[in-house]
Amino acid sequence: MTFLAITSIFFLAAGLLASWAWRRSLEGPKRVVLTGGGTGGHVNPALAVAEAIKAREPDTRFLYVGVRGKAEAVIVKRAGYPLAFVSSRGFPGLRPSMALIRFVFAVGWGMLRATGLLLRFRPHWILATGGYVSVPIVASAILLRLVRVAPVRIYLHEQNSVPGQMNGLLGRWADRVLLTFPQTLSYFPKNGVVVGYPVRHAIGSVSRQEALQRLGFRLPPHRRVVFVFGGSQGARTINRALVEALAYLAPHRHRIFIIHGTGLSQSADYHAAQDTEQLLRELYPAETLDTFSDFYYRQDYFHNIADVYAVSDLVVCRSGAGSLNELARLGKPALLIPKANLPGDHQVMNARAMKQAGAAEVLYEDVLLADGKVEIRVDSQELATRILSLLDDEERLQRMATKSRGFFRRKATARILSELYRDKLYDNGYPLQAVETGPAFFSNAQLLRRLQAAYASDRRGYDPAAVVGDWDDLTYYRHRAAALLAASSWQARNVGVKLIGLTRYREKIPALLHLLCDRTPAGRVQRLLGGDFEQVGFIRRNIVTALSVIGHLDSQVEQALLQALKDPYYEVRAETCRAVVAFGEQLAGKDAWVDALLERLGDSSFEVAMEAAKALGEVGVDGRVLEALVGLNQAFHWQVRNAALMGIKRLLERRVFSPSEEVLRAVNRFLLTAPDFRPTFTIRENYNAIVALCRQAGASREEVLPDRSNRVGARKDA
Amino acid sequence: MIFELGRILQDHSDYFSFLRLVNYITFRAIMAALSAAVFMFVFSRPFIFEMHRLGFQDQDRDTGLAVHDKSGTPTMGGLLIIGAIVFSLGLWGNWTSPFLLYPLIAMLWHGAMGVWDDYAKIRRGSGNRGMSERMKLLLQSLFSAGFAWAMVGPLSPMGPEMATRIYVPFIKYPLFNLHPVLYGFFIFLFVIFVSNAVNLTDGLDGLAITPSLFVIGVLGVFAYVEGNTIYSSYLFYPYLRGAGELTVFAAACAGAGLGFLWYNAYPAQIFMGDTGSLAIGGTMAVISVLLKQEFLFPILGGLFVAEALTSQIQDKIGVRWLGRRIFYRAPLHHDLQHKGIAETKVVIRLWIISGLLALLALATLKIR
Repeated sequence: MTFLAITSIFFLAAGLLASWAWRRSLEGPKRVVLTGGGTGGHVNPALAVAEAIKAREPDTRFLYVGVRGKAEAVIVKRAGYPLAFVSSRGFPGLRPSMALIRFVFAVGWGMLRATGLLLRFRPHWILATGGYVSVPIVASAILLRLVRVAPVRIYLHEQNSVPGQMNGLLGRWADRVLLTFPQTLSYFPKNGVVVGYPVRHAIGSVSRQEALQRLGFRLPPHRRVVFVFGGSQGARTINRALVEALAYLAPHRHRIFIIHGTGLSQSADYHAAQDTEQLLRELYPAETLDTFSDFYYRQDYFHNIADVYAVSDLVVCRSGAGSLNELARLGKPALLIPKANLPGDHQVMNARAMKQAGAAEVLYEDVLLADGKVEIRVDSQELATRILSLLDDEERLQRMATKSRGFFRRKATARILSELYRDKLYDNGYPLQAVETGPAFFSNAQLLRRLQAAYASDRRGYDPAAVVGDWDDLTYYRHRAAALLAASSWQARNVGVKLIGLTRYREKIPALLHLLCDRTPAGRVQRLLGGDFEQVGFIRRNIVTALSVIGHLDSQVEQALLQALKDPYYEVRAETCRAVVAFGEQLAGKDAWVDALLERLGDSSFEVAMEAAKALGEVGVDGRVLEALVGLNQAFHWQVRNAALMGIKRLLERRVFSPSEEVLRAVNRFLLTAPDFRPTFTIRENYNAIVALCRQAGASREEVLPDRSNRVGARKDA
Repeated sequence: MIFELGRILQDHSDYFSFLRLVNYITFRAIMAALSAAVFMFVFSRPFIFEMHRLGFQDQDRDTGLAVHDKSGTPTMGGLLIIGAIVFSLGLWGNWTSPFLLYPLIAMLWHGAMGVWDDYAKIRRGSGNRGMSERMKLLLQSLFSAGFAWAMVGPLSPMGPEMATRIYVPFIKYPLFNLHPVLYGFFIFLFVIFVSNAVNLTDGLDGLAITPSLFVIGVLGVFAYVEGNTIYSSYLFYPYLRGAGELTVFAAACAGAGLGFLWYNAYPAQIFMGDTGSLAIGGTMAVISVLLKQEFLFPILGGLFVAEALTSQIQDKIGVRWLGRRIFYRAPLHHDLQHKGIAETKVVIRLWIISGLLALLALATLKIR
């Protein structure tokens, strides 16, 4: 009890003291804590604002708080701001896991450190630009403010149209959430203001001549310059694709020059510089590699990125908010390679908007088969062709440059300062002229539901482009679906498989076939409980479905399907039999298929036997089939007997046999009793008949006279 | 009401001595069953029409089967069942007995949950999207935790030395005395499991109600035996003073169930909905615990156990984790339908199975 009292008195006194000290030091020169990072896209806006504050009040003191080993460690040090480190981790989700425990400890420890830092530095403002890096500082500042110790103002900046986890979670306690896109306002109705994306001042004000002198390397004269980079951390797919594309670009070495920013990433997952180096050595012999230096220059990160922009004619990059803002500010034509399956698809939305404005070209990542593995790639040949064709079309580049300029909102930095100093120079309260990004994309689940419904209602006239509404969107959806095939969770791969089928992405059939025949075993526990392979039963079943939806049959597909007929999972076998019905005309009479299906008639699962009997009706051409089907006359399940009769009926319809006494005798041997029947509810039938009549009439009347009340009435009855 | 009245009048004057009938459990049980059934016959029709008028109708559900056109049938028949039971207990029950109050509270709690669930389904227009699974589990856990605490603590109606003993079918004497915490945890899981099991079984016309009748009927017999000094000592059962009240309760349930089956038999005019299935499940679980017959349930309610296990194995292990189906369809009754057995036939076959299981459970009275 006494212990409790003493501690509480101690804390109270400490709090009062800290609060008093903080309030007293507010009178001195401005002190600002900046935080945010992980990638350059989070760091650069903070630095841009810092530069602007410094220009206005030169004696302002800054402290940048980041996490060791991330982008901020390099960029901020270079920019010359004092840097402190805390520990933090990305939020792994609420699911109990080791990662969650590590997250709690890292953030807890980080918050203790952050509290110490804040109490010593006593800032006026905290500007956090997102990323998990900023969580400890923002969270402890909010807590300090809650206990009335810290009279600090907290500002968050959100770069993307969909708020990140940290901003979404902590945003409600901030004084202001500064937004880049007006769409984001709906997430922060109380304290959100639209300001745009602050770009560092150093970018933009460089002339080409000036930049050429300051570049750290020699740029031969009269070359068209391409700047390729995948953001501050680097993108594996872009780096690899470029390295491979060098082979296609080399013949044009006399007229082009490529500047390659590989990125700073040094994580265990991907070490950008090493990986690129290694791939170069693998692909090209040493002597060729030496000759590359006259048209290819590589560096991990360009601190003078403004100079590099200034000398380049075309930029190839990701379509994150950061890169796009820089491009737009400078008016650079770009070839964008958006990263797919991000929250809200913001990179693709951005890229699509740029493309629609005529400011950029888009190249999607793709899933390719490499060394028997499914991988996300950028097609290197395609990349080279697109780069060359753009460079050749000077007029087009000019047009793109003009459109690109002014694509994003201006004066973001000034608007942010007006929020910080509260001098009301700009009215940020209303949504400013919005970036026209078009309607949002469907999520994978929504898309799947729509496509499935359309396919179910009309199989023959099914056209995915009509459902999606736009050919370009369909292209993106296809790429997105393909990207799912490389996912590590089978659920995601399964969705990918279904979507590839329903979007009829024929080019990905080889990938599907690869997955179908993939025999990597599942984990031991799974196998013990009845699992089999890494590509689980549902995936294999849905691949077969997808193949029949795509409706393309060649010898490879046929081989894979024949193999699927012997799959250990019964649904795959049954589905394959159904696919045979779909491909019936092409497969009819092929001995391999008839043999395989006859074997399936004795399958351990009645469902397979049933589907095989139906399929035999489609592909059978001789007495062998009839005999086998009649042999099922006393099958245990009545559905199998029924299917055999259906098969025989189909054989008669296809005129393999003509109806005869012999067939009748054979059919007479069937056991017809069944434990099932189809009930008819007279009242429902009459009701359904009336509903059908009204629907028809309603449909035709709507065209002439769209009477709302009538329609509502009709729906209510239905 | 009649029970209390009869007692008072008896004390008052010899003229009312014929009312000592109400002291007999058997008489009250029979009367409770009859009044519950009469209640059902009187109120079912108006209730069905009222439910239809209010739009409380069954919603389409994704079962993975081709033929399943049941949408539009009025639902929430559980309300009617609960009403009948409460009515008949009001007449014939001894409301001071904890053996009446525990199952009654269980029934009302689970019934209320079921109403919420049914209402959510109707409002969202989808049979798959009722109350969230998490919320359901939370509410069930709340009740079960409270009940488990009451059972191992001072509120147990059977006295402290009896409370934590474990009885197992076919064995004459209590197996051992479980630690109160462990036993409480076991009760907690048991109640949740059973109420969910009945909830899952409710999928075909008349499928949930008849097996429930068997289970509750047998439990009623057990209650009669255990509440009777002579029979309990003869059959070597623990004597639970006042457990006979459960016989009256079980009889009321049976009467209401029979009355409900009248309308729920194929083709159903009304469904019990989650309101009914959860309420019956909760009641069944609580009665089993009160009679120390938890371990009889896997035999007696074997059908419910099978339904719950197939459903959970299929969904949690198969579909969500392994990425394949383990049964053709789940729960059990849909699997049978998928194999080509008509609904009526599936239902009657499962009735037969549950009836046989009930007989087997009754046999454990003697075979020990």
